[in-house]
Amino acid sequence: MNFAKRFTIRSTAAAMMGLALGTTGLMTSHAANAGEVTIWAWDPNFNIAIMQEAAKRYTAKNPGVTFKIVDMAKADVEQKLQTTLASGVTKNLPDIVLVEDYNAPKYLRSFPGAFESLSGKVDHKAFANYKVNLMTMGGKVYGLPFDTGTTGMYYRSDLIKQAGFTDKDMQNITWDRYLEIGKQVEAKTGKKMFAMDPQDIASIRIMMQSAGRWYFDKDGKLDIKNNPALKAALETQVKFMKTGVYKPTSGWGEWVGALNKGDVASVITGVWITGSVKAEASQSGKWAVAATPRLNVPGSTNASNLGGSSWYVLAAGKEKAAAADFLNQIYAKDVDFYQTILQSRGAVGSLLASRNGKAYSEADPFFGGDKVWQKYSDWMSKVPSVNYGIYTAEGDAAVAAQLPGLAQGMPVEKALENIHNQLASQIK
Amino acid sequence: MAPKPTTSYRRFYDVNGWLFVSVALGLIGVFMAYPIVRSLWMSLHAGQGTVVEFVGMGNVVRLASDPVFLKALQNTCIFLVIQVPIMLLLALVMASCLNMPNLRFRGLLRTAVFLPCVTSLVAYSVVFKSMFSYDGLVNHALAWLGLIGEPIPWLNDPFWSKVVIIIAITWRWTGYNMIFYLAAMQNIDKSIYEAARIDGISAYRRFVSITIPNLKPVILFTTVTSTIGTLQLFDEPMNITTVGTVFSDNTLTLSMYIYNLSFKFVPNFGYAATVSYVIVLLVAALAAIQFYAARERN
Repeated sequence: MNFAKRFTIRSTAAAMMGLALGTTGLMTSHAANAGEVTIWAWDPNFNIAIMQEAAKRYTAKNPGVTFKIVDMAKADVEQKLQTTLASGVTKNLPDIVLVEDYNAPKYLRSFPGAFESLSGKVDHKAFANYKVNLMTMGGKVYGLPFDTGTTGMYYRSDLIKQAGFTDKDMQNITWDRYLEIGKQVEAKTGKKMFAMDPQDIASIRIMMQSAGRWYFDKDGKLDIKNNPALKAALETQVKFMKTGVYKPTSGWGEWVGALNKGDVASVITGVWITGSVKAEASQSGKWAVAATPRLNVPGSTNASNLGGSSWYVLAAGKEKAAAADFLNQIYAKDVDFYQTILQSRGAVGSLLASRNGKAYSEADPFFGGDKVWQKYSDWMSKVPSVNYGIYTAEGDAAVAAQLPGLAQGMPVEKALENIHNQLASQIK
Repeated sequence: MAPKPTTSYRRFYDVNGWLFVSVALGLIGVFMAYPIVRSLWMSLHAGQGTVVEFVGMGNVVRLASDPVFLKALQNTCIFLVIQVPIMLLLALVMASCLNMPNLRFRGLLRTAVFLPCVTSLVAYSVVFKSMFSYDGLVNHALAWLGLIGEPIPWLNDPFWSKVVIIIAITWRWTGYNMIFYLAAMQNIDKSIYEAARIDGISAYRRFVSITIPNLKPVILFTTVTSTIGTLQLFDEPMNITTVGTVFSDNTLTLSMYIYNLSFKFVPNFGYAATVSYVIVLLVAALAAIQFYAARERN
């Protein structure tokens, strides 16, 4: 789900909210009754609301099991989990916890034995392959894949037409073509093509994964200096900065504000942005959706991923059996549940069967009557699987550190070398 | 040779005395001594989360070749060297202005200057973040005054983001230091100023030759505490200049790096503990230098 928003939540209210909510969580999980499954997650409008719906469905069939869903800021969930696991005192841990996909391999590797293997309890073949791969370690699958961050390009068809392009021109394009269109759009309409924080590396991650590459290769070894996808991504980023085709913003609020105020003609990001795009009802019918642009490197596809998270069962949880059964019954089998959360929350789950449901084939008048969800589920099955490895955060930091230099004209080869050196020193 | 039964010796073996302090000693042991010793032990280990091994001085060796650590150290030093002198000078000037006996609305003005340091760190950071954003108040004001054509990328640029942090900490902490100076100024004997005035000494000379020397112990105190505060700088860079997934490299401080190593990156508590000890050593060394520089010379 909503990836950038979570950071804003963290950086503003987290410190205050976290303390208050965190302590309540600690104290209440102590008093867990028999048969009460405790769950930690973030974002009341998305994950929490979806979990409440899932819990309602499960309790209807299994009245003996109750749920305690604790809402915390994302950073607090991560901190509490990390510190509690590191301390070795497990009795305050929940039964189920939400983990962002980028963090999953790191937790599995750093805290062996802390998470319960769900192999044999859940049929993981029913889920999108790339989600299952990142939670597999030593042949065992540890989580239950939840929402995807499948990416797409949302664009203002009215502005694109004004610039002299048709909807057909936007399908399955490259980033270079996207940039050309962007220049036209600015010349003809005076609007920028997209909004971006010049320090954010989200678009670089999208580009890299679209070519099936990451900071690390399949064996987890550093893959920087000879990584064509990362190189092309950095070059594209430099082109963005040099042509000034984007509106610079800082923070989630300004970024979404640029979309809703009509300052920009497109946004390329994870599917979780849908709700925010649709928040401006006056723009209904003006937006359309096309596939993510691809890089000019072999193997790059018009499908990628940004963000997304999954549910994990903790091995120390008292109710871990009930927790696993709950996840299996609802998240791995209940196709109707996925229709409900898609319609009410815009959540695209990674259960492949959910795509056959009714809600996925419905046309959305906001997007000019397009069957948006069908497109997303199609792209979801094409997202190349990559090995995030355990050092994604370190990789992001190393790339972000080079962006100011690149903007000032540093050669991309030099930046790649710096990224390699920084990462090599960090992953000891 | 047998120890002489002095008073202090007898006191050492007095059970009642130990009983009186035992609770305090126990608490200090558990909540101060143990964490210190344990974190030192921790800093000799490295690894991922709970998978750690003893590396001895390995973490210290790693520090030397870690570009992120060096960057954080560099940023922290820039903040320290530029911000602390500006702030203390400003506080001194403000204190001496607000100490003028014939100043009107003194109470009100003193409160106004002191007010920033009772605001919440997070709340004021959020306000600064919005003021200095692209579409923020500061850029609008500067554009309206005709000083800038293009908005300044306050929060994204390596140089300007540091400026914002320096402005923010100065805003927050100047009043705090001013209060110390104000209190100390009121303890300076007024007759010294009177004598100086009769001798025809200018206001500037009175400030430099009477006020500052008399405030020396307080200036030393504020310098040491401000140094410690800046070396532990975390809230402002975290809340004002952090974007996206990672802390901005432009304003990364040592404390933020410790946070990254413990909670954002693969948890490496041993290495994080080592970086914390770097702060401890820096604080100790800088305080020693400051005490040495301010010592009484006979």
